[in-house]
Amino acid sequence: MNYRVVGIVVLAALLAAVPSVASEYWLVLFTQILIFGLLALSADLLLGHAGLFSLCHAAFFAVSAYTVAILQTRYGVSTIPASLAGLCMGTLLAAVFASAVRTRGVYFILITLAFGYIVWGVAYRWASFTGGDNGVTNVPAPALGGLQVVSKAHYYYFVLAVLAICLASYRILTTSPFGLALRGIKSSESRMRSLGYRVGAHLYVAFVISGFYASLAGVLYIYYNRFVNPVAASFPISVEAILMAIIGGTGTMLGPFIGSGIILILRNWVSGFFHYYTAVLGLIFIATVLWAPNGVMGLIRSWRSGNRGEGA
Amino acid sequence: MTAIILQAINGLSLAALLFLLASGFTVTFGLMRVVNMAYGAYYLLGGYIGLSVMRTTGSFELAMLVGSVAIVILGFFVDRFLIRPIGSNHLAQVLLTVGVAFFIGEVCLAIWGGDSLKIQLPSYLRGSVELPGGIYYPKLRIALIAFGILTATSLWLLYHKTQIGAVVRAGVDDREMVNAIGINVDRLFVLVSAVASFLAGIAGVVGGAFLTLNPGAEWDILVLALVVVIVGGLGSLEGAVLGSIVVGLLDAYGRWLAPDFSYFVLFGPMAILLLFRPTGIFGKEH
Repeated sequence: MNYRVVGIVVLAALLAAVPSVASEYWLVLFTQILIFGLLALSADLLLGHAGLFSLCHAAFFAVSAYTVAILQTRYGVSTIPASLAGLCMGTLLAAVFASAVRTRGVYFILITLAFGYIVWGVAYRWASFTGGDNGVTNVPAPALGGLQVVSKAHYYYFVLAVLAICLASYRILTTSPFGLALRGIKSSESRMRSLGYRVGAHLYVAFVISGFYASLAGVLYIYYNRFVNPVAASFPISVEAILMAIIGGTGTMLGPFIGSGIILILRNWVSGFFHYYTAVLGLIFIATVLWAPNGVMGLIRSWRSGNRGEGA
Repeated sequence: MTAIILQAINGLSLAALLFLLASGFTVTFGLMRVVNMAYGAYYLLGGYIGLSVMRTTGSFELAMLVGSVAIVILGFFVDRFLIRPIGSNHLAQVLLTVGVAFFIGEVCLAIWGGDSLKIQLPSYLRGSVELPGGIYYPKLRIALIAFGILTATSLWLLYHKTQIGAVVRAGVDDREMVNAIGINVDRLFVLVSAVASFLAGIAGVVGGAFLTLNPGAEWDILVLALVVVIVGGLGSLEGAVLGSIVVGLLDAYGRWLAPDFSYFVLFGPMAILLLFRPTGIFGKEH
């Protein structure tokens, strides 16, 4: 327990020190890692805790980003109401898409994939409203009250603060009776059902909460990126979020961020000298599934418990 | 009135193309519980290979043959060395085959570039024919519909009227039992998977003449094929036929009547259907 407290303090201190030691390149990359880590974490709430493999999390991410972008640029709505509207729209969409929890296994995977494509299709085709392929550009910097967050370091701290709140709430959620019930459903749905748990309702609520976190990542993303196009809603984003969670280690809080760091640093590095990054990404998918299905956290865990190769 | 009929034929020709892809996906899933998301990439690669063959030799038949045989070989290696080692975990299968699809997609981009390409048609498929009622319609699309019907019929006969089909159906219902009575299901799967890859390759060459080949086309076509499979029910050949027709028609009328929301027209009914019948029309619990 003490180790954990020390670990959290050290980690927090390191993250807080990033702007003063890192160059702007790394600062921007770190901000991106944190934002996509949150997206991966939201997908992992379903994958690691409830055992559902969703392929539509880019949809909530993109819908909230688009909502904020359109409200800010076209209607001049200020940061806080626009962000809240973005969160609401993303979460509402999750409440609709959560109907997918009526299905399991392959059907769930395929249906969430198809749902994700609806959102991408609308973002891409409904050009008069979403800007089509060009998306929405020139989103202003966030302003909290009279305070404009202009510098990259300030925005990094802002993301870090939001994340701290997110992680605390995530921790409370996953250790609550509700979170434990989700883990129970993941292990044995029929047993939980016979114990009298309303499995469907639990999964539905988990899906909506997960959508909320993904929407939050979307809001952080739009103020980071300052523009959004249909790529944000595309299938590769959804599947990459899942991959990040798996590479880091599912069912943990740190894992998705480790995964996000590995993928994004690798992308930035590889793109520098190799034109076909997606091919490398494809190989990472294959390698992860074949050789590291439990991710980095799984490796650490098996190393700590001394029985290598067995995994968690 | 003419427009309504034209759109119906448009929808049916797309349905024929989708059926080629969806039938393979659904039967391989039924037999081995393998979700292979790389079929879209197989389609695209088959199409590009066909395109190159067509450009060098000028023979459409040869393009179809080389394109599909290349995919059969590729599909065999992917099955044997990547999919089989990971067992029956759907999550792993999806991630792995998505990885394979990303890789193939980038290889295609590196070789054939990012422009939309179209396979040149042989002279006997160019032009249009006059249908009863004075409607002129491209020959290719009529030929595609005929080809789809032919494929569906032969698959149906193979599946329901032959010994191999009987064994495959038995394998779909209860794989362990079929194994236990001495039939090598793994070997059977190699055969079924080869047929599926073959159809995906053919679909690519035909689709390259009928639609276009471009980066990203693999996902567009795969998602349509998945909707076919979801609507029809995983593992059901009849479901794939019905699903293809439904999706083909919805897509054609959707693009015509509500172009901005054509994806919505396509996926909305699917979502509603699933609320009432989560396993699709002909599907069983998996």
